[in-house]
Amino acid sequence: MYRSCKGNSGLLAALALAFSLLGPAAVYAQETGLEIRDAGTHLESGVWYLSARIDYRLNRETMGALQNGIPLTFELQVEVAEERRWLPDVSVASLRQQFELSWQPLARGYLVRNKNSGDQRAHTTLFAALNDLGRITALPLIDDSLIDAGSHYEVSLRAMLDQQQLPGPLRMLSFWDDDFALESDWYRWKLRQSPREAPELQPGLFPEPPP
Amino acid sequence: MTLLAPRALRRYLGIGATTGGVILGVVALVMLGHYAPSLADFGRSHVLLLVVNAAAAAVLLGIIALNLFRLVRDYRRRAPGARLRARLVAMFVGLTLAPLLVVYLFALQFMNGGIDNWFDSDLEQELSTALRVSRESLDVQANSRLLQTSALAAAIGDLDGAALSRALSVLRADAGAEELTVFLPSLQVDASSTRTDTLPPSLSEDAVNQLRRHQRFVALEPLGGARYQIRSAVAIPGDSGYSEDTEPRYLQAVYPIGNRQGRLVDAVQDTYTRYTELRFLRDPLKNNLTLTLSLVLLLSLLAAAAGAFYLARRLAAPIESLAAGTEAVAKGDFDTRLKPGAADEVGFLIESFNDMIERLARAREESRVSQQQLESERANLAAILGRLSTGVIASDPNGRIRIANMAAGSILGVDLRSRVGDSLEQIAAAGPLAAQFIAECKPHLLGEQGEWRGQIVLNTDSTRRILNCASSALPGESVPSMKEPAPQGPEPAPGGIVVFDDVTNLLVAQRDAAWGEVARRLAHEIKNPLTPIRLAAERIRRRYLPQMSAEDGQILDRSTHTIVQQVEAMRDMVNAFSEYARAPQINIARVDLGQLVREVAWLYRSQESQPRVKLELVEGLEVDADAVRVRQLLHNLIRNAQEALEGQADGVVGIVVRSITGADQTAEQEFAEITVTDNGPGFAADVLAQLFEPYVTSKKKGTGLGLAIVKKLAEEHGGTVTAENLPDRGARVIVRLPIRAVIRDAGKDPRTVRSEQQRVRA
Repeated sequence: MYRSCKGNSGLLAALALAFSLLGPAAVYAQETGLEIRDAGTHLESGVWYLSARIDYRLNRETMGALQNGIPLTFELQVEVAEERRWLPDVSVASLRQQFELSWQPLARGYLVRNKNSGDQRAHTTLFAALNDLGRITALPLIDDSLIDAGSHYEVSLRAMLDQQQLPGPLRMLSFWDDDFALESDWYRWKLRQSPREAPELQPGLFPEPPP
Repeated sequence: MTLLAPRALRRYLGIGATTGGVILGVVALVMLGHYAPSLADFGRSHVLLLVVNAAAAAVLLGIIALNLFRLVRDYRRRAPGARLRARLVAMFVGLTLAPLLVVYLFALQFMNGGIDNWFDSDLEQELSTALRVSRESLDVQANSRLLQTSALAAAIGDLDGAALSRALSVLRADAGAEELTVFLPSLQVDASSTRTDTLPPSLSEDAVNQLRRHQRFVALEPLGGARYQIRSAVAIPGDSGYSEDTEPRYLQAVYPIGNRQGRLVDAVQDTYTRYTELRFLRDPLKNNLTLTLSLVLLLSLLAAAAGAFYLARRLAAPIESLAAGTEAVAKGDFDTRLKPGAADEVGFLIESFNDMIERLARAREESRVSQQQLESERANLAAILGRLSTGVIASDPNGRIRIANMAAGSILGVDLRSRVGDSLEQIAAAGPLAAQFIAECKPHLLGEQGEWRGQIVLNTDSTRRILNCASSALPGESVPSMKEPAPQGPEPAPGGIVVFDDVTNLLVAQRDAAWGEVARRLAHEIKNPLTPIRLAAERIRRRYLPQMSAEDGQILDRSTHTIVQQVEAMRDMVNAFSEYARAPQINIARVDLGQLVREVAWLYRSQESQPRVKLELVEGLEVDADAVRVRQLLHNLIRNAQEALEGQADGVVGIVVRSITGADQTAEQEFAEITVTDNGPGFAADVLAQLFEPYVTSKKKGTGLGLAIVKKLAEEHGGTVTAENLPDRGARVIVRLPIRAVIRDAGKDPRTVRSEQQRVRA
């Protein structure tokens, strides 16, 4: 799937150029949205772990929905594919992680819940909540036994707002409205044998939520 | 089959598309109806819903566009039934559109109003208040927990190691906390006591920030499932107390909130959240419902329109076929039969139509047969009329000629056949004979006098015609003229017919026969005593003249001379009579007429003090004639002209011979025309009409038989003779002899036919 994206990089560049000429709208689009700042994998005790740092920058509409009690579900999509010279790449592992971010009016705070594990953490500020959401540390990805030493592998990571979890009327709107179409580009890197450090925390610029 | 296949395929495709469109439409409507009431489910299948709706709308729109295109095309071509279909479609769509729009607008109004009614400012206020109250109560609890934690921190003081662990266990149990943990300034756990072994305790980012800033932290944490806990943390005052230089240790305590209270506040939060969510979704919801309703309207409308086309076609089909059938019948195609329709009024109409066409076809066939019979009868009648020597003229009551045969035309000297339809006045203006005839017979022609028989005499300058006429009013209905309005008053007669025979020749022939008889008897009776009278007179003279005195002898001589002279004159006269009455055989041969005329004229040219003879001849004009008789005819004509010019110094006799083509009663015939003119005084007006009868003369000399003999000779050859005065001075006699001998009597050689005279006598 992402191979085709690679093949179309020229077209994508042209589109990017065209959008960059659109002016303020394009600038605004740069300020909000999801972006993978850094991501990597390291091998530990025969298991490959994923660590990543993702910027979640909500726009006005998603923020409005969140503060009106509508929980936002973000999904992390990870793919591990074996690169083959003559044949199409084949996926060897695929992982989906869903996180739910919700506003708690009683506690005046935000709750981040991993929908896969059920773990949750409360935060008093949106900044802290988004920071927490964007920090992926040592997520078990694939058993090393599944990796062939002679082959090359590529890992792809993408974060997106799962619109299917939105309430019906918003989903219907999202059919022709891009306000809720938050999605990062695919971030790709090679699966290396050398372990990597988890990326360091970097403070982002997030507005404080209203009391 | 090759032609049929694409058509059948197209038809099946059309049926398939229509059925598919209708099924899609119904499915879309059912789906809309199913999902619309449920807010949660509504958006779940929205993509499928939209796709199904769009597909249904597209298929229906396609069907409608196709039907509309066909309808417009038929309408422009003025195809039968197109107008009716258009009107029906417009009516159906109009009937559907109005109530649908009303329901749509009302539904929209009610829906928007209903949704707006959900949001009540009082309700919102109350929910906020409830939430605030819950929060206040939790805040109070949290603050007291914070104070408690501060007290615990004070109690811990400088404890560390095993003592600290022990103290924590005791204090946790006493305080009823879930967890008590002491963190080193580096935020690593110094000692901890938890009620259950869960995750390793940690200080959250928020807590660290708060602690570093305010030395304390308290927060309410939802645990899910209506459970809450209070997390509090404070800096532990050390031996040296709080100071700016040294980082203190931190004590974090987690207290549970009672299940009952948790459930209560959770219910409040839940309600509040649902309310704010609903408020946020108000506009999208309205938009979605409006869209749904519009889709329902659109689909209903499209389905109704498609249905309208179908219904209109179904309804108009029998009427279209009726119209097409009527048109075909109007064009004369009586073989058209319509397919029988349903068992309703229209079906009955079609059955009646077929029945009517069958009868019409039968009637037309019968009418055609009788028309044919009529035509053949009419042709027969026309042939009979054409060959009839009797003239027939019929007129309508308005005085217009309806029928006129050729004989009528030739008798009246007007070509009547080409003037059928002309008025009687127009016919009258065409010639003098016709004018007199119309004047005499007009009332009979108009059919005003019923049955009539009579004889009329027509006189012109040159001829005299006697006609035996019979007339009768025509039977049958009157035919009023299209141009003129029907006259008021009594209905006019339907016109009349006049049948007439030219009996002039018959009468003349009768008279000629009578004269011939008189002449023969006269000649026979008078000629016999003439020779004895002359011989006796001559004997008296011879015997007694020498014996008489000169004076007596002179008297005797003069008397006997007178007797002989008068007897000679009488013999001449009797000879002339016998010449008129004789009936020798006619010997017809090919005669060069020009040569003959030249020979005869040459005899008269040599005589002195006689009028000059001027010739104008056509060379090589040959006729079937008896040369002796033609010569006699010429002698008579020239002599007649010379006698008319007697005593006139500048007298000229002109003879013209030429060939003409004249119309007989039945066919065209070639004639040789001999015209003899003189510049004398002309014929007296009173004798002109009876010029060719014996003893009719305007001269002092002559027997009065010259022209009578000319006429007889001409008629013996099947020719005619006419005489007229020239306009200024002189007279003209025209003799026409047929170039080819006329067969007067079937079965006889034309060269040995006897004259009319001979037959009359026989």
